[in-house]
Formats: sequence, structure tokens, C-alpha cells
Amino acid sequence: MEGTHEKESYNFEIVQWFSVAAVIYLVVGALLGVIIASQLSWPALNLDIPYLTFGRLRPLHTNAVIFAFGGCTLMGASFYIVQRTCSVRLWSDKLAWFTFIGWNLVIVSAVITLPLGFTQGKEYAELEWPIDIAIALVWVAYAFNFIMTIVKRRNSHIYVANWFFIAMMVMITYLHVVNSLAIPVELFKSYSIFSGVHDAMIQWWYGHNAVGFLLTAGFLGIMYYFVPKQSDRPIYSYRLSVLHFWALVFGYVWIGGHHLLYTALPDWVGSLGAIISIGMIIPSWGGAVNGMMTLSGAWDKLRTDYVLRFLIVSLAFYAMSTFEGPMMSLRTVNSLSHYTDWTIGHVHSGALGWVVMVSTGAIYHMLSRLWNKQIYSARLVNFHFWIHTIGIVIYICAMWVSGIMQGLMWRTYDEYGNLVYTFAESVAAMHPYYVLRTLGGVLVLAGALVMLYNTVMTINKSKAVA
Amino acid sequence: MNKITEYFSTDWHALTGTDWIGLIITVSITLLMIGLYIYVFRPKNREALEAHRYIIMKEDDPGGNK
Repeated sequence: MEGTHEKESYNFEIVQWFSVAAVIYLVVGALLGVIIASQLSWPALNLDIPYLTFGRLRPLHTNAVIFAFGGCTLMGASFYIVQRTCSVRLWSDKLAWFTFIGWNLVIVSAVITLPLGFTQGKEYAELEWPIDIAIALVWVAYAFNFIMTIVKRRNSHIYVANWFFIAMMVMITYLHVVNSLAIPVELFKSYSIFSGVHDAMIQWWYGHNAVGFLLTAGFLGIMYYFVPKQSDRPIYSYRLSVLHFWALVFGYVWIGGHHLLYTALPDWVGSLGAIISIGMIIPSWGGAVNGMMTLSGAWDKLRTDYVLRFLIVSLAFYAMSTFEGPMMSLRTVNSLSHYTDWTIGHVHSGALGWVVMVSTGAIYHMLSRLWNKQIYSARLVNFHFWIHTIGIVIYICAMWVSGIMQGLMWRTYDEYGNLVYTFAESVAAMHPYYVLRTLGGVLVLAGALVMLYNTVMTINKSKAVA
Repeated sequence: MNKITEYFSTDWHALTGTDWIGLIITVSITLLMIGLYIYVFRPKNREALEAHRYIIMKEDDPGGNK
């Protein structure tokens, strides 16, 4: 993929590759999501083929979306931002290519091993130990290259977006290495060195901070660069961004315990997690307001700038899910919501609403600059925005209703203290909502396909001119 | 001892090394956060901090892009 910009001072070719890979992985991740959502609606679609069952495809879906799509977006966008904000080329092109190829090989290995049933059984950390080692190597190479680029910067100040990326890199290294500590017994079988409730606590310390540092801090780095750039206005308040950063990095690491309320975990750990979760509303909303108020006095731009719509609406979803999450961590709410589809709805309002929308805005923004061409079709960007937004709303509303209904059915007792509904009855009651969820997913997938088409056509247009 | 003092009563001698490390880190982070809020909201620091808003608005671009 040849760069078409005039000079080669910055390494934008690696950003181009990461961006295209991200769009492809968005389609793959959404497709897998639609398949497994359909399997929950119509279980016959498991086809009695072990490699295609829900239990094996579900971790493939989460890995594809979080690490393949999210990872490629973060790596591409961070390499783009660090070069432009530091006014220097990447420290090492070779290390950048090692990162791109290595990360994609990790993704390929996930595509092979997860359907075959090789798993550590840890949510968002399913991959077996040889792949874990590869992830650590590639991630450290990525972080080292990024940090060395900052070291040789031409500007004295490090722009706040880069702080968020560094926090992500440091914490993800720490989280991944500790949570993946295992004793290998075969090439693709290992056992965690932690056991019992300690294993659960380490897992959810990792799990929630994967959300906190990969899917939040990293994408906030993207937000703090692309919202001002796309709106052509400086960020609303730099002071607020400083507070947002430090409150977020100090706060997030405490809250994993709220995933384990009403378990063998000591009560105080869960309560601590819940208290800090509530406290995290302040920096999260501070960041969301900071991003949205950047448009203060120029809201009319949302009428005509479809890319900006993605970026700003992503912040609305960010604010919504960072309020919903702390509410769900309260014991009273958690006793109803935990283990239900409400959690799935919450996760997807964050993933599809915040992560995918801010990524999509960033990739559309970079497309025209990386290939020096206007996006092939602005109308298709608008179409993508609406179909994606409608898809998310259908998805999360279906899961809210389904989740609350599940929770209520599971806790309904008769006058003798017996459960009124069997578990199977609650499953049957979910069917219409699972069908609706599938429909929401189909719309998101359709939007991703539109984005892929628009991306390919923009690149083709650029090549035709070149 | 009323209910609130009972709730907050602590057997300091029972704290393990890990407990003390956790306590010191927690108190230190809290103090650092208070210091950060004071630093950020101090009127005389406003101009210096807000000047960084404009970094990305005037970045140079070898490709001629904005």
C-alpha cells in the first residue's frame, strides 16, 4: 500500500495498513456477532458442528472486536497521533512493521485455536500460553516504539492524547502478563497459577481494566485528538483533560471487584469496587463534557459533518455507559442485573456506541488525509451513521428489556417460597428479544460493510489519480 | 461507642504488611489527587495549562494536511 502523501517525513504507510485492517476486522467481528446472536435466537444454527458452536465462536467474536478491530484502530491511530503531535517520524519503522505483522499473526492464531477449543477459559484472555507470550512481545515492541518516538519529539509538551496511550500501554502490559501467568502442561493447555477466588479476582482486575485502559483510556486518546481536529477547534478545557486523565488512571484499577459481588470474594472488596465505580462517574463525565463542549458555539457543524457526528455521538454513549456501569455495580441493582442480558446490553452500548463510533470517526478522518483524497461518498458516511445508531438502539433496548425480565423472573417466589419460573421458562421468554438483538446486529454489520466499501473506493480513487 | 465510631474503629495492631502498603498507597494517591485539583484549578496556572489546547491546531504536516 503506497503512501500518496507528498513527503515521507512521517511513516503513514503503517497507519494505512492498520486502518484498513481495522475496517476489515470490524466486518469480521460484527459478522461473528450476528452469527452467535442468531444461534441464541435459533439454536439449530449451531449445526451440531463443534467448531461453530456458540461457546467457541463467542470468544472469537470478542477477540475479533476487542483485539483485532480495537487493537488495530488503537495502534494505527496512536502511530498517526504521536507523529503529528511530536512532529517526528516513528522511532523505528522496522519495529512498527513487526508490530503490524505480529499483531495480525496473533489474530490469525486466535482464529485457528479458539474454534478448535483451545482456551484458558478466562474471559477476554482465552488465548493459550504460547499466544500470550507472542501478545506480550508484540505489545511491548509497540509500546517501546511509541515511547521512543515521544522521547525524540520536537515539541516540549506531550499532548494529552499521548498520555492516555502511554497509560494504556503500561497498564495493558502489566494486566496481560499477570493475568496470563500459567503453568503449561501441553503446547496448547495450561493452568492459571492462581486458584479459587484469587483467580477470579485477578481475572476481573484484568477484565475490567481491559475495558478501562484498552477500551477507554486508549480510545480517549483518540477522542482528544480527533474531536478537536475534525471540528477544527481546540479542546474545550485542557485543565479538565488533565484531571480526567489522572482521575481515570488512579480510579480504574480499583473497580474490578464489582464483577464479583455476592460471591466468595470478601464483601469489602466488592464494596470498594462499587464505591470507586460511583466516583468514576465524575472523571468520565468530565471527559465526555470536555469532548462535547469542544463544539460549543459551532454545533451547526453536526448538520453537515457526518464524521464529526460519529465522534460526538460516541461521547454521548460514553457518558451513558459510564453512568450505567456504576449504577449496575451497586449491590441492590447488581442483585437484579448480574448474570442477565442487561450486562450484555451495557457492554454493547459501550462497545458499539463508544468504541466503534469513536474509531469509525477517527478512521474516516484519517482516510482522506492518509490517501490525500476526499472520502468517496459522504452520503454513505451519513448512511453508515444512521444505520449503526439505529442498530445499537435496537440492540441495547432489547437487552435492557430482556435482562430486567430475566432478573425479575429469576427472583419471583410464590407464597410458599418456591421459584415461580423455571430457568427454561425464562430462556423461552427471551426469544423475541434475542431476535431483535440479531436484527440490531445485522444493521451494525450492514454499516460496517458500507464503511468497508467506502474505504476501498476512497483508496481506489486515490490510486486512480496517482 | 456510637454506631458510626464503631463502624470506623480499627484494630491497628492487626494490620498486616500488605494492609499497611495498601493503606499508604491509598492515602498517598488521595493526597496527590487533592494536590492535582489544587494545581489545576489555581487561577495562576490557567493560562499555562490552557495554552496546550492549541498544540494540535498548529501542528506541521509534511503532507500538507490539516
